[in-house]
Amino acid sequence: MHACFARLLHIDLTRGRSEFRPIEESRLRSYLGGIGLGVSLLWEHAPAGIDPLSPANPLIFASAPLAGSGLTTTAKYAVVTKSPLTGFIADSLSSSHFALELKRLGIDALVITGSAAGPVYIVVRDENVEVRRADHLKGKSATETESVIRTELESPAMRIAAIGLAGENLVRFATISNEGRHAGRGGIGAVMGSKHLKAIAIAGGRDIDVADPARVDAIAGSLRQRSLGSLTDKYRSIGTVANLSVFNHLGVLPTRNFQQATFEDAAALSGETLTNNHFSRRHGCACCTIRCERLFTSRGTDGEQRLEYETLFALGPLCGINDPDTVLQAAALCDRYGLDTISTGGTIAWAMETAGRGLLQGIGLRFGDGDGLLNAIHAIGTRDGAGDLLAEGSRRASAQVGANSSDWAMHVKGLELPGYDPRSLKTMALGLAVSPRGACHNRSGAYEADFSGEVDRFRGDAGRGPVVAASEDYAAVLDSLIVCKFLRKCFSDFYREAAEILCAVTGWDYTPDELRRTGERIHTLKKLFNIRERWQPQDDWLPERLLTDRLGKDGDIGLSPEELGEMIRGYYRAREWDEAGYVPVSKLRELGITA
Amino acid sequence: MTTRSAIILAGGKSSRMGTPKALLPFDGEPLIVHVAGMLQRMFDDVVIVAAPEQELPSLAVTLVRDEVAHQGPVGGICYGLRAARGEIAFVTSCDSAFLNGRLIEHLLEQIDPCDVVVPHWQDRFQPLHAVYRRSVLPLLEQQLARGELRPIFLFDKVRTCRIAEEEIRRFDPDGSSFFNMNTPEDYAEALRRWRRSISCTVELFGVARLVTNTDRISLELPRDSTYAQLFAALAERLPALVGRVITADRPRLVEGYACNVNGREFVRSPETTVNDGDNIAILSADAGG
Repeated sequence: MHACFARLLHIDLTRGRSEFRPIEESRLRSYLGGIGLGVSLLWEHAPAGIDPLSPANPLIFASAPLAGSGLTTTAKYAVVTKSPLTGFIADSLSSSHFALELKRLGIDALVITGSAAGPVYIVVRDENVEVRRADHLKGKSATETESVIRTELESPAMRIAAIGLAGENLVRFATISNEGRHAGRGGIGAVMGSKHLKAIAIAGGRDIDVADPARVDAIAGSLRQRSLGSLTDKYRSIGTVANLSVFNHLGVLPTRNFQQATFEDAAALSGETLTNNHFSRRHGCACCTIRCERLFTSRGTDGEQRLEYETLFALGPLCGINDPDTVLQAAALCDRYGLDTISTGGTIAWAMETAGRGLLQGIGLRFGDGDGLLNAIHAIGTRDGAGDLLAEGSRRASAQVGANSSDWAMHVKGLELPGYDPRSLKTMALGLAVSPRGACHNRSGAYEADFSGEVDRFRGDAGRGPVVAASEDYAAVLDSLIVCKFLRKCFSDFYREAAEILCAVTGWDYTPDELRRTGERIHTLKKLFNIRERWQPQDDWLPERLLTDRLGKDGDIGLSPEELGEMIRGYYRAREWDEAGYVPVSKLRELGITA
Repeated sequence: MTTRSAIILAGGKSSRMGTPKALLPFDGEPLIVHVAGMLQRMFDDVVIVAAPEQELPSLAVTLVRDEVAHQGPVGGICYGLRAARGEIAFVTSCDSAFLNGRLIEHLLEQIDPCDVVVPHWQDRFQPLHAVYRRSVLPLLEQQLARGELRPIFLFDKVRTCRIAEEEIRRFDPDGSSFFNMNTPEDYAEALRRWRRSISCTVELFGVARLVTNTDRISLELPRDSTYAQLFAALAERLPALVGRVITADRPRLVEGYACNVNGREFVRSPETTVNDGDNIAILSADAGG
């Protein structure tokens, strides 16, 4: 077998045992790797109905067929578990050297179950697994943790993924971080914290071979060349922060907890302004030619700070903040605690509005209050005072506060919304409503249809169903190979090219149609997992505010429940699921899902 | 948000024109309807100041009459400001057929901390294409009482923001905004100009903005121009875009860039026609992030 190893490493922290177990090649062919393999293993390893923060919830790190192949943007891995924020699937991606090292361990996945008695970290060197005490790492940021572990293991080459204090404190939107990058959404850091697992340090020496090295080299050269063309110019020249001014112009920039979709001070926070006034340097993941990361400097942060559009929107306009220095400080705090910036901003924006309505006692938060934002992040990370409530996320916090405050808790299935206002991006509205992960912009790229001009972004209809389904399947394949989505526009015929790449790397024959079907299989298994975890049709829906509050000068922009309902029905039909959104047995058979 | 008004002075004598200017046919409608229509798209409150007994078509605006006929611009501005609901008002005349929305917005944005914002074009103030704060009304009334019928006497007495020609050209390169029709020859020229040109604003985002160091520019184009022609004109004005955002060999956007009109539709073909007054955004086609 090429590029995969057909085995996983299972570590049971309760018993302090580990073992290598085989993975059937048929499973790898059916689910590829990354999120596909992770979902398949989650289905097998997670007992139905489990509490996400209980020891038995498996935390799965999945490698992918293309990792280590040398192809640009493929140094990635997935983390899959049951989300403590949504109660459904959590599937997050991260990247860079940890991904390559995971592959060099000679495994396709690392499955961690159980819970240690006290703080520990895991060290895996090739076949050797060691669980070490981590009392001295308590409270440290992921970056500090990486540094301390490398020093004490006297191994600078060690690659480490860790949680910050938020993960230790079981903040329901805590992240897992490596090399400053985060597997961010869904609270997987809290799952790691619930196992008292501070970090995973790995170093492997296995060679990664590919089936057809000459062909892989040729593909690598072609992809590298394409990755440096105009189709990635935005990412290479400005980074994702470029979205802010464009989204503001198009009226889709969520502002003050989605009360508006334009921000009057957008110019102060725009990617262009940040580039002109705060830019420090450009950075990239291992094995990436696009290098989209932007580091900025600001008053109030030590050194440089990474900033992406989602962080910028969530800690800026969403909270009514117009000062770039404050946003950069807030982003630095989220990184230090290990917090998902979208859920952090979304939950604090909810709290700002709720406090403004006099429904949150003892919290002096208000929109535009930079110090209030920073204090709230500290409080969430430490679960101090009101931070203990906010650390539960906007859905649980609003349920506790009551008084209709759930109407403006901007989440789907418990996951806070990303920075795209669905009222004037109707395909995106559907994508957000039905995503198994909750309100997610990454597990489908539904907004692409809206921004292409191919559909009327202001008017939704049943025809959006097949568009969203195709986008989800496409994302599932990208996330399982794994290829960075910022490369996606460089493929002219994605499934054909991806099948060719997969064949050159693994030796597996795939037709483009089989690969498309693989995407559908992976997505369907995510949905099946959610159904097993008590998904109900009403979970595929959007927050009340989006269905009642209108936008535009004359309130001419809005999304009605009827419109959303029609799109959802169109989506279920496109998926060949039943009218309520359940997957029929015939569909499982057709996809070869033997669950 | 502060209510903003627009005031159209329509009560002039039209003596050199020989026929009431407000009723001259223009673009298939009386000139006053054309001018009022343009301003109604920008302002909730539009006031027309007409002479006593002056005939005007029916319009959904506030109509006031000069208390004393033909007292010049100062009289018209006084009566208009009294009737206006806004604290600030853009004042123009009924024969300003080529108003430029972006320039007007820019003037309005400059009002704080001033009382008057007035363009200075080709060495002359343009008091009938200017923004006035309603608080200047007492001073204008005093001027009127003294018989000082030219608005520029006001400018030394209040906080006046003078908008220089270079700044104006960012929005209106050839100053069409200040083109008035005083004679039949002017009218004929206006009709010729209207038939042959449109103006639009192009806003640049992301890479396009950074490489040109330009947020937005105004373009004058022949009527019925296509986006291909717009891209060609844009390339001429901003050569840094060529090769990076606009293709070098033929006028279209480089793959990876997109074009949006008025914050609504995306332009899918370079053969699409550009409309007068369009606000066109050049941005990355990739909204991922």
